[in-house]
Amino acid sequence: MRIIDTSQENRSFSDLAPNVARNALFVSVFGILASLILTFMLGGGLERFFQSYLVNFGYFLSLTLGALFFVIIQHVVRASWSVVVRRVAEVLSSNFLLMAILFLPVIAGMDHLFHWLDPHAVDDEILAGKLGYLNRTFFILRWVLYFGIWAGLARFFYTNSVKQDETGDIKLTLRMEKFSPLSVILFAFSLTFASFDLLMSINPHWYSTIFGVYYFAGSVLGSFAMFALIFHYLHKKGRLLQSVTLEHFHDIGKLMFAFTVFWAYIGFSQYMLYWYGNIPEETVWFLHRQTGSWTPVTWFILFGHFVVPFLGLLSRIPKRRSALLRFIALYVLAVHWIDIYWIAMPEWFNNGVSFHLLDLTLFLAIGGLWISVAARRLGRASLVPSKDPRLSDSLAFENS
Amino acid sequence: MGIATASQVEPDPIRGEPLVQGGHDFASVTDAVCGVIEAKRPPLIWFISIAISSIMTLVLFAMIVYLFWTGIGVWGVNVPVGWGFAIVNFVFWVGIGHAGTLISAILFLFRQQWRTAINRFAEAMTIFAVICALVFPGIHVGRVWFAWWMFPIPYQQGVWPQFRSPLLWDVFAVGTYFMVSSIFWYMGMIPDLATIRDRATGTTRRFVYGLLSLGWRGSNRQWHRYERAYLLLAALATPLVLSVHSVVSFDFAVSQVPGWHTTILPPYFVAGAIFSGFAMVVFLAVPARQLYGLKSIITMRHIESMNKIMLATGSMVGYAYAIEFFMAWYSGNIYEQFTFQNRAFGEYWWAYWTMASCNVIVPQIYWFKKARRSLVVTMIVAFLINVGMWFERFVIVVTSLSRDFLPSSWGFYWPTWVDILTFAGTFGLFFTLFLLFLRFLPMVAMAELKNVMPAAHPVHHLSGEKEGH
Repeated sequence: MRIIDTSQENRSFSDLAPNVARNALFVSVFGILASLILTFMLGGGLERFFQSYLVNFGYFLSLTLGALFFVIIQHVVRASWSVVVRRVAEVLSSNFLLMAILFLPVIAGMDHLFHWLDPHAVDDEILAGKLGYLNRTFFILRWVLYFGIWAGLARFFYTNSVKQDETGDIKLTLRMEKFSPLSVILFAFSLTFASFDLLMSINPHWYSTIFGVYYFAGSVLGSFAMFALIFHYLHKKGRLLQSVTLEHFHDIGKLMFAFTVFWAYIGFSQYMLYWYGNIPEETVWFLHRQTGSWTPVTWFILFGHFVVPFLGLLSRIPKRRSALLRFIALYVLAVHWIDIYWIAMPEWFNNGVSFHLLDLTLFLAIGGLWISVAARRLGRASLVPSKDPRLSDSLAFENS
Repeated sequence: MGIATASQVEPDPIRGEPLVQGGHDFASVTDAVCGVIEAKRPPLIWFISIAISSIMTLVLFAMIVYLFWTGIGVWGVNVPVGWGFAIVNFVFWVGIGHAGTLISAILFLFRQQWRTAINRFAEAMTIFAVICALVFPGIHVGRVWFAWWMFPIPYQQGVWPQFRSPLLWDVFAVGTYFMVSSIFWYMGMIPDLATIRDRATGTTRRFVYGLLSLGWRGSNRQWHRYERAYLLLAALATPLVLSVHSVVSFDFAVSQVPGWHTTILPPYFVAGAIFSGFAMVVFLAVPARQLYGLKSIITMRHIESMNKIMLATGSMVGYAYAIEFFMAWYSGNIYEQFTFQNRAFGEYWWAYWTMASCNVIVPQIYWFKKARRSLVVTMIVAFLINVGMWFERFVIVVTSLSRDFLPSSWGFYWPTWVDILTFAGTFGLFFTLFLLFLRFLPMVAMAELKNVMPAAHPVHHLSGEKEGH
């Protein structure tokens, strides 16, 4: 067994947290100001603002959800390898309160985003049948419920884990394990319906039973990429040099690879079955994405979101070079953003891609806040669950 | 790491119970597993079982001969339900055949060490289940002398199979699966076969097991290559676990039939297949461990873990049922809506509710640890899950077909005695093969099992004191 001495290791982020949080906040403020200027003074318009906002909200929500899933599933399966990387996931998943606040603009912009709110929707026979589900009150109530579930779960896992840093009580681990299976079920249904509400109902005529799983696959993939980035950064800053080893990077890389393939499997199932069935009301969604300048984006999703990361992560080499893995992780995060963009935008812009600077400035606005809040929380507790009963197993973990 | 000492009495809440219990060492594991094969005669119950199962197998053959002789008319299929028991049973058996590869490939990649006690067993079951499954596409074609048309063989007529047909994809998917699982199973068995060879007393025995063990000597170099090959096969078999049942689901999902044509079908079929596969593994493992005195090798921990997987996959199936139902309503498509109402409240309501209660409600009992660790509950639940999963396929196939788009062509499907006896006969074939496996091949992967015992751990002797910290 390797002897791992972690006594000299720096496991705190408290010295860097204020700086990072402040810088990220600056970025966010810049993003907000730029977005406001673009919207009101440079003729972007409110409608475009909300559309770009939804894409970026959906993106950061997915990363938060992916992190929460990671935390829950580690407790379900009582994983030991992942103890040293779990705290970062716990912190990222604690961003749900922020996401709940960031959801307010979506509510404000609902009329611009969802045409099932159109007063004429009742005249559409199909839509009229769905208005029992797709209406403003029920929509908001559902989102209150979703955020209640997510923030509640995230808080439960975060506080118990941090409490264990002090007490070292094994019972806390057992308690988290006990509630984790139920958490998975709550998580699965809330994520599924949230994805229906937020993204699928942009085109309220269209439906796909696998849509929730598709959003889930991308979310988890994105969050793994996020972990790889964060640990690379922490290493560069001299943190967790002994705890988080190449072996952990290797495992994160493997999981990224697995979810790249899983995402492709789900995406293929959705596309192929509708393509083969060739029923107009189902293919229309893909038709929008295979018309005009959306066609190359669709091709890019196929190759860029699957083939490239598949080949990139296949070998052992990139998974065990954190700089290389960081590069792939950045790439994966970028294509995941394009994927969300590709899910939402073509429904408003049937004729072709219409990129707007707002897409980027709102990314900075939301992303800056997201990182700022996470960084501040990361500074508050140890970067690893320092008294987790499985910590020693995680430290000594090696890929055979 | 993660391996508790065998002497531990109190189960460690963090590391769990030891994987091998009862104070076994390497030699006693070998004795226990090889003892089953080396026993002069198997237990009486084995003879009774194989007598029954071989009679059932003969019934299967008789039914097939009768079918070939008379024609498909002896089955209950007719317009509009052109797919009856044959496809239901095919999907059922392919589904059963999913646990083996999941255990040997995916759980291996996930470093789930508890898999070692049950993987051999489950892989064998997988192969036999796939054999039972493959009976049906072969015999259901009507003019069976043309069945070879399913294979893309160039011949003088220049006629190729329809590559756009999911039925052809099935041939490839299931064929590949069968091949890879057989290789995986056999390759994994080589070191154990060599052990049996080395212990053999008779010449015939030594010759046969010697032949099968391919000259295995257990040298370092051989082990090195063996482990490489094992890892590679595991990685290659992993996508197969998902692809096979996904392709099977395409048989339905690519069509435009309401209730079949839905995008979640592939992952939902995969979850259901693993669900039923584990139910079958546990259903066979419980009696086998009692009968052959392997309780300290296939422990309650293994049973409990499998029951947990059933709870997880059963819940995934429940998720898919729920989403399908919701989406049928949400779609606004009256045919979809009708199909799902018809499933639950139509002529086949009993099949639907059998399916829903056996697959979704019954496994919920596994939220309780007591139930997960009770052999009686385990056996009952495993049985019910298999019933439920069979009915799931029945519901999918029959309810959708019997209620066509045109009410004038609606019909009712009922199996004939030939259908039922053919299905029963496949159980005979399955159990006959399985009982032969128990008698002649090592049912526990001894070499792999020893790997997860504390004594295999290089620091076993050093860390003896550290284990309890």
